[in-house]
Amino acid sequence: MENFRDKLKYMWYTVGHPMDGYYWIRHRERGSVLLAIVMIILFSFSFTANRLLASFVVNDINPRGIDSFYELIAVLSFFLLLSVSNWSVTCLMGGEGRMKDIVIAFGYGTVPITVMVVAATIVSQAVADNEMAFYYIMLIAGIGYGVIMMLIGVMQVHNYTMGKTLFTLFLTFISLLIIIFLILLIANMLSMVYLFFSSIYTEIFFRL
Amino acid sequence: MRKRLTSIIMAVFITAATIAVSTLPVYATPSGLPYDTYNYDLWEQIKLSPAAYIPDKIVRAENFTYNGESIGRFASPQDISRSPYGDLYVADTGNNRIVVIDSTMSNCIKIISSFDNNGVTDTFNQPTGVCVSGKNQIYVADSQNRRIVVLEQDGTLVKIVANPRSESLDENFIFTPLKVAVDYADRIYCTAQFMFEGIMVFEANGDFSSFFGTISVIITPWEQIWKRLATREQRANQQLFIPTEFTGIDIDQGGFVYASSIDNEGVQGVRRLNPKGEDVIKKGGNENIGGDLMIFGPTDFAGPSQFIDVVYRGNGLYSALDRRRGRIFTYDHEGNLLYIFGALGTQEGTFNLPVSIEDMNDRLLVLDAGRSEIVTFRATEYGRLINEAVSLRFDGDEALAVDLWKRVLEINENNELANTGLGKAYLTAGDNALAMRYLRLGMNREYYSIAFRRYRNSILIEHANAGLTAMAVLVAGSMIFKRIRKTRKKKGDTDDTGAGFTYE
Repeated sequence: MENFRDKLKYMWYTVGHPMDGYYWIRHRERGSVLLAIVMIILFSFSFTANRLLASFVVNDINPRGIDSFYELIAVLSFFLLLSVSNWSVTCLMGGEGRMKDIVIAFGYGTVPITVMVVAATIVSQAVADNEMAFYYIMLIAGIGYGVIMMLIGVMQVHNYTMGKTLFTLFLTFISLLIIIFLILLIANMLSMVYLFFSSIYTEIFFRL
Repeated sequence: MRKRLTSIIMAVFITAATIAVSTLPVYATPSGLPYDTYNYDLWEQIKLSPAAYIPDKIVRAENFTYNGESIGRFASPQDISRSPYGDLYVADTGNNRIVVIDSTMSNCIKIISSFDNNGVTDTFNQPTGVCVSGKNQIYVADSQNRRIVVLEQDGTLVKIVANPRSESLDENFIFTPLKVAVDYADRIYCTAQFMFEGIMVFEANGDFSSFFGTISVIITPWEQIWKRLATREQRANQQLFIPTEFTGIDIDQGGFVYASSIDNEGVQGVRRLNPKGEDVIKKGGNENIGGDLMIFGPTDFAGPSQFIDVVYRGNGLYSALDRRRGRIFTYDHEGNLLYIFGALGTQEGTFNLPVSIEDMNDRLLVLDAGRSEIVTFRATEYGRLINEAVSLRFDGDEALAVDLWKRVLEINENNELANTGLGKAYLTAGDNALAMRYLRLGMNREYYSIAFRRYRNSILIEHANAGLTAMAVLVAGSMIFKRIRKTRKKKGDTDDTGAGFTYE
């Protein structure tokens, strides 16, 4: 428990000082994968909550179309895909980060987004027509800072330069598409194999 | 593989259908209509609503007699038009005649099947359009004779408009008029077959004047890329990018032309053209006047609405007739969709092949070319209240409409326009809380926002004293707290906090 409090405190320190924070996460084990996953889950919930609860003034989303469970699954699998594809690219490109560092880099990066989305959702209850800009500025600031944090995180855990980080992120995106393609391919082939055996079963069943 | 995919799709579809069927209430439709009437909410979801119009009387020609004889069935009639004096003119295309019915829709007054053309008896050949001008002259689009015939009420020929010649027309252009309309200055507006450049306008003396309201073709970048990649042979087989033809025309008192067209995107099926030929229609909050909004699906029944005709009904209201699903969509001058009714089918009150719509003494008439009959629709109380309230708003008397909107809400509490109307009234009256409630129900973000700001500011002002006092106390309190903590720290009895990370 004491350990967890330390990790939590260190996460806040990382949000304030991403350069140093991520460096010591890589080299002194100051981060926590569990905490990163919890942060991603919170991020997913805040995203859903924003779309459900933001005031009507800024929000015309049909609440019937929102399902927090599906969104949680979607967000988690996206982060898993992102981490795996980033890991598979950086492995080949001299990145020093381990899988857990990458997960922490992305997971801690969602913290400012979560905080600002929740804050903006609360603020939205008080804004009217011409003050909508406040709400959007809060959202943009949160997302912008989160993206910068993730960038710095990837850069620090792999010990890259900024240029190389951007380049590997581009490759990450491509490998992400490849992974999705392969998953679909495998699923399709498995279903064909299943069909094959199930038809053999039916044939035998009818002939016996 | 294919089979598998199909079975998956089928399974999903069946499940969805089962869920949809089991969750939908069973409609023993109170009005006994053979279809459901509905409207769309802000989220473009279908919300069932009471019927604004219900089928009333079916008018068939075989029930009419003229000069003591039965006039026989209509044969594929293509157009109906109301004269300024209240009679109904039917272009009985297949029988090559114009049938005039009185305003009660129960007697045939006149049949025009021939006229005296400079001493020679002349007839029509497939007249597809008819229209009556303010001078009570009859304009007939005599399609297969390639001309527009203008007749007086007694049948004498006024003029024949044929063979238009102009620099902007092709040398061997064959003029086949389909639908025709006349404005207050006797200018003729007509749609013609294979004429994609817009509505043809003729001066009162019959000279071709210009094209009007051309629908420009929009080619998406994606289509451009495909065109670039395609070989010459492929390109020849592709669909040509030609503008859409107009399908129906109507003219309001001010000389603005309402013209319907088939929009493959389902975004804009009606245009309101000013005298310069520019489209000045308002498309409402969702930027859509193309009929149905939920148009996706794998069946023939899906796809955007195809407006075949439009009628201007006064006070900014206009109704458009959808050929694909046989529905009639009514919009107000702001482009709000007011109500939807009608359907294709085989029961009475549905259509087989609807081609033309007309408005007559608070009734709507739809001409069904397939069954050769005119279906008349009568407004229910719901429809009448909406019409009246919208008309009042069109005239700028929105405050007078409040009682009407209240009664509309008694019939259908989902009506967003009624809720918005009430909300605006409360906003004007200064009751911001009630205004917020109704504007929220009416899904009107713009006005809800205004109501909300006023409500919030009034609360802030009301509690300004308490709020400011509380703030002052808080600030003072926190300052004192900090002071105390500082002095304690100096004494050194806590080794407090802070992210004191040190790394070597």
